[in-house]
Amino acid sequence: MRYLFRRFQRLVVVMVSVTFLTFLLVNVLPGDVAYEMAGMDSSEEEVQAIRDELGLDRNVVLRYLDWAGGILTGDWGASFINKEEVWHALAQRFPVSLELMLLAQLIALSLAVPMGLISAYRPGGRADRVIGTLAFASVSMPSFMTAILLIFFFSLHLGWLPATGYEPLSAGLWENLRPMILPALALGLVEWTVLMRTLRAEMIGVLQENYIALARAKGMSDARILLVHALRPSSFSMITLLGLQVGRLMGGSIIIEQIFGIPGIGRLLVHAVNTRDFIMIQGCVTLFAIAFVTANFLVDIAYAWLDPRVRLERARG
Amino acid sequence: MADITPDRLEGSSAGAPDDNADAIASHNRKNRLGLGFWIPLAWLAVVVAAAVFADFLGLFPADEIDWMHINEGPNDAHILGTDHLGRDMLSRIIYGARVSLTVGFAAPLIGVGLGLVLGILAGYYKGWVDEVIGIAIDTWLAIPGLVILLLFSVVFGGSLGMVCLSLGLLFIPTAARITRAATLNHSNREFVLAARAMGASDFRILTVEVLPNIIWPLIAFVLIDIPIAIVIEGALSFLGLSVKAPTPSWGGVIAEGREHLEGSPHISLIPTAVMFMTVLSFNLVGDAIRKRLADVRDGAI
Amino acid sequence: MSEPLLTVENQRTAFATGRGLVRAVDGVSFTLERGRTLGVVGESGSGKSVLSRSIMRLLPPNARSSGEVRLGGRDLTAMSEKALRALRGPEISIVFQDPMTSLNPVMTIGAQIGEVLTRHLGMSRKAAKARSVELLASVGLPQPDVRVDQHPHQLSGGMRQRVAIAIAIACEPALLIADEPTTALDVTVQAEILDLLARQQAERNMAMILITHDMGVVAGRCDDVAVMYAGRIVEQASTEDLFRDTRMPYTSALLASIPRLDDPPHRKLEAIAGRPPDLIHPPAGCAFSPRCRYADDLCRSQPPALEDAGRGHRFACWRPMTMEAAE
Repeated sequence: MRYLFRRFQRLVVVMVSVTFLTFLLVNVLPGDVAYEMAGMDSSEEEVQAIRDELGLDRNVVLRYLDWAGGILTGDWGASFINKEEVWHALAQRFPVSLELMLLAQLIALSLAVPMGLISAYRPGGRADRVIGTLAFASVSMPSFMTAILLIFFFSLHLGWLPATGYEPLSAGLWENLRPMILPALALGLVEWTVLMRTLRAEMIGVLQENYIALARAKGMSDARILLVHALRPSSFSMITLLGLQVGRLMGGSIIIEQIFGIPGIGRLLVHAVNTRDFIMIQGCVTLFAIAFVTANFLVDIAYAWLDPRVRLERARG
Repeated sequence: MADITPDRLEGSSAGAPDDNADAIASHNRKNRLGLGFWIPLAWLAVVVAAAVFADFLGLFPADEIDWMHINEGPNDAHILGTDHLGRDMLSRIIYGARVSLTVGFAAPLIGVGLGLVLGILAGYYKGWVDEVIGIAIDTWLAIPGLVILLLFSVVFGGSLGMVCLSLGLLFIPTAARITRAATLNHSNREFVLAARAMGASDFRILTVEVLPNIIWPLIAFVLIDIPIAIVIEGALSFLGLSVKAPTPSWGGVIAEGREHLEGSPHISLIPTAVMFMTVLSFNLVGDAIRKRLADVRDGAI
Repeated sequence: MSEPLLTVENQRTAFATGRGLVRAVDGVSFTLERGRTLGVVGESGSGKSVLSRSIMRLLPPNARSSGEVRLGGRDLTAMSEKALRALRGPEISIVFQDPMTSLNPVMTIGAQIGEVLTRHLGMSRKAAKARSVELLASVGLPQPDVRVDQHPHQLSGGMRQRVAIAIAIACEPALLIADEPTTALDVTVQAEILDLLARQQAERNMAMILITHDMGVVAGRCDDVAVMYAGRIVEQASTEDLFRDTRMPYTSALLASIPRLDDPPHRKLEAIAGRPPDLIHPPAGCAFSPRCRYADDLCRSQPPALEDAGRGHRFACWRPMTMEAAE
């Protein structure tokens, strides 16, 4: 319990420093928001009026405190550019990004787990070497390059899947998934290798354990030993990595959303940066940070599920 | 003299010779640097040489627009064809290599250098120093790297130096963590305690006693980071947030070709292939060197 | 007389390593009748655990194995891996040394026993669980209905070894191999576990191979004892004969290392001087000769053969001890 409390404390400090850091950065963005809002041919007075209204001349720390107070009471502010509520904009786009990232991670996992199992089964064997080579190639292929190749091949050449676009879930599951397949593939095809290597390394160790020898002595089949006896105790590092990868995944989704024209947080952020819409930037980054922290908290819970020893410690508190 | 002691290791003796054999076999494999090392190294040598001597290769100027020859496929005049403004692709790729390679080498060195300092401080002084640096690193990690770069590029502009620096910052957290763990591990060893007892200054202990012991994992880390830096720079320039146009960069060239993927796929696909081969080569060469380093270190101990 | 339950014929197991071939088991032959107990005694590295894995046919990929292992008339060395899997559990099973590491930390006790029952006896999950509780009760685990849903870390070492025994006897095998079953346990628990094994063996009429480094363990619990040194059996006899009429100096040294109740406190245990031999380059003559106080030129130049001296007492020694010398 004390450990959990300490973790939570640290979490709060991190959230505060993330948001404050962004606030500072956004505030030194070149270009004056007030000018852009006022329009090209506005007088100095008009600009000054906007500055006063937004409180742009006040101390950065005070303005940060204002903003943070707003967040805590559920008021994320409104865009300077089009007056859209930040919260509303985020709520609309977050599910889109989430879907993309979940699909990507699903693809990554469904590649990483079988490949990791096969590799670890006979380390140094032919299958292991083939998979190792594939992994090397795959990790050398950043998502934007994969995206280009996927579009070239599946959209332009074969015409199977759309190159851009997004359909809401309300249009039907398949309609929703169809344009998501290529973007999720582009993201997932980079991430699987790290997961696979981590699983492989840990599983090679687990397969040397006495309890695996006992499972063999019990007459269990190789498939059962790999899937039932070895997989769970081998997944700890991989699960930790799943949490840490959320950061990379969010970064990757910014590019992928840009390439495939997916209306998610990534595009919102790029647009906000380009228009110096700093309250919106602030909102996006805050949401990213919350998502990252939450993902890693979920990883902690997954740990407890995987390892009964952890579960017991929790129960004892 | 060996007593008859409970042989706790007996249970694993069946596996022990096995591990041994594997270790030795793979050791031998590792020590032979095969084609998987030399071919990528040769490719890297070609790319580096081309980038360094680009001015003397008699190339078309990388930003010379030629409306008469746009979107041309590979031909006699333009070996790799031209882009949508009629610029020579070969020239753009070679000059683009300059950006990629500069960032690829500079960013990891900057990041690992700064991470080394922070990690040593945290691991050696512990207490509140460790706590503050820990929070700073957690903060840094909680913002997606690309978001940091996005903001930095807008705030500080797109000069090559700024790109190297801001990309380097991304490598700090991991480098700092590795250093901190290694420092914690070494700063309690006898030789450090002995040095301290003899009145050595902190600085002397850190540079003479601790640093040589933690430098190897960091060198290995730099090797891993070079291809990563090249990839991130590629992503950044793909988004148009790296060095400013018209300076060519691989990501930028790939992005420009995206519009013409249907009619002139070579504009995107050729630089994609070049970048892939370069990153792959760095990965393969880095991996081989890393294994060598580990062998040398194991042998030395 | 019908064929014995287990016949091991000239079994050799070697491991290919970078330094050379490690001959862990180097020509071992013995037989075991149904319901009987054979003690296999030796120091670390004498090859007794590798022997047990050779019998189970559970060897790592770099192992070279030759010889014959016949169980109930079938030659295990000629069987497919699939056929062997069907035997492991119902015909032959094993209890490992360290109960702390031989149970899967993320599976419940019930799942680890139950899977043997569902796999080999075709029980339903529900029946398997009920049977697991019975098995746990029969190995003397308190509160078996609670323990069945627990994980290994919630049990003490002795309790875990009881679980391991429950797993091993679940399908009533004809042969149980206990590989140092008490070495990792507290002294107070050791006797309990050994008694449990003996009781289960008697109840279920299993044959048992009890592997140990401790002569004290085999005394009174085994019908026969085989002493292993450097991958070979160097002396084998009924337990009584072996203790009374020790012929091989190595056996004698092992016997001397048993602490006795009537020893004065803090008496230094007698240890065997020297190191176990290098199994890659074994000595030319008798493998024990470098450490043997009776060794002469013959011992150092020619290996002695394992020969029967009557009443099934076999030993391999050029300078066997007489009864007086053993005293």
